[in-house]
Amino acid sequence: MNEILDKIAQCVEFGKINKTSPYPPNMKDQDGADELAKRALEEGVKPDEILENALIPAMANVGNKFSKKEIYVPQMLMAAKAMNSAMMHLKPFFLSGETKRKGKFIIGTVSGDLHDIGKNLVAMMIEGGGWEVIDLGVDVGAEKFLKAMDEHPDAIVGLSALLTTTMENMKKIVTAIKEKYSASKILVGGAPVTREYCEKIGADFYSPDPQGAVNYLKQLAS
Amino acid sequence: MANSTYQFDFKDLKLNSSMIETVLGYKEGEDREIVTSLIKEILTESQEISDIKAEYKVFNDVQFDNETRSVEINNIAFQVKKIVFAQLKRSDSVAIFLCTAGDEIGIRSRKAMQERDYLKGYIYDVVGSEIVEAAVDLMQADLEKTLLDSGKKNTNRYSPGYCGWDVAEQHKLFRLIPENYCGIRLTPSALMDPVKSVSGIIGIGKNVRFNPYTCGLCDMKDCNYRRARETRKH
Repeated sequence: MNEILDKIAQCVEFGKINKTSPYPPNMKDQDGADELAKRALEEGVKPDEILENALIPAMANVGNKFSKKEIYVPQMLMAAKAMNSAMMHLKPFFLSGETKRKGKFIIGTVSGDLHDIGKNLVAMMIEGGGWEVIDLGVDVGAEKFLKAMDEHPDAIVGLSALLTTTMENMKKIVTAIKEKYSASKILVGGAPVTREYCEKIGADFYSPDPQGAVNYLKQLAS
Repeated sequence: MANSTYQFDFKDLKLNSSMIETVLGYKEGEDREIVTSLIKEILTESQEISDIKAEYKVFNDVQFDNETRSVEINNIAFQVKKIVFAQLKRSDSVAIFLCTAGDEIGIRSRKAMQERDYLKGYIYDVVGSEIVEAAVDLMQADLEKTLLDSGKKNTNRYSPGYCGWDVAEQHKLFRLIPENYCGIRLTPSALMDPVKSVSGIIGIGKNVRFNPYTCGLCDMKDCNYRRARETRKH
């Protein structure tokens, strides 16, 4: 059983999506995360085990390698796609409640800003960390964040900004969320954002990379 | 020299796979097999789908206020903030410009992302940004050539949203130019549609200068473009 979980983890870490995907070349013509996850379930491996012992550790390795600049965004995106191909087989178990996620995470790029690559990377890594991600997209104002919070009051919130000037909108959104949901936890990130700025605007956590956000959420959930 | 309109062919931009790989962060000798064929495929596709336009309009009615660090163009005051003001303040006139790569590349990027083909979506996005930046480079080079004939020079280009200049000032900038200039529309939150578009200002005059390395002025220390420029330098 461990062997198939190890294989799934390896496929996710190195971005082997399915049998037909040519990347990585040393895994050509081998089953990918898609086929292996399906087979694991057929062989009786519990979906929780696939999530906890294959997908989450594999994505953590990817996140750590990215933090150490050992891989670039493309490898991370391939890993996320491989993770998704496995996750598709787990979806029915999430929906039935048989497999539980660690919690909900609402994310969006703040109003006035449409840069979404960083936001997407964080969303993928957090999903790979076992969380349900509610992605509000780009150019998202306080009202939309609050509406999502009304629907998912226990969710943790992530705000992204790439422009120095839209960081101001980040502040407005943090203030609006904290006014209505004072106990909420808000993470902020994006190229111009710093730990000092995070503290100044009353957000709870800043991470310069996606894995930092995953680790913080892990702490909150434990 | 008051106005100029450009329609560029994709081939004019001379973009190639290795330039895009550098923007993605890859350094000399590093394995990039994962992206090379996809970049080539998207560059080939971009020849068909890009609709690359640029325009600029020159304004001679320009005032600078040292105290508020604002620039007034045709009676519209821009709070451009310290960095941009310092670069523009010796200008005799300014060019307001817009440039776009067209709708399609942004649409394909979003579609690929929605379909969870993240790498493809990302590469469309990067290629779209490179198209529009390369096109503005061509437009700016042509402006520079025109200015040289009259003994004038130009500054670098500056856009709302960067160097502390509030992105909301796009609304003022768009008031200075005819509606649907270059086919670009502005959303209420000051974002441009098509997504792969740039707008901004260039100072013109005998006493202005072009700064070949502007990344040092910017707050974004960990930006892909800064890294790419650093890599090209070494």
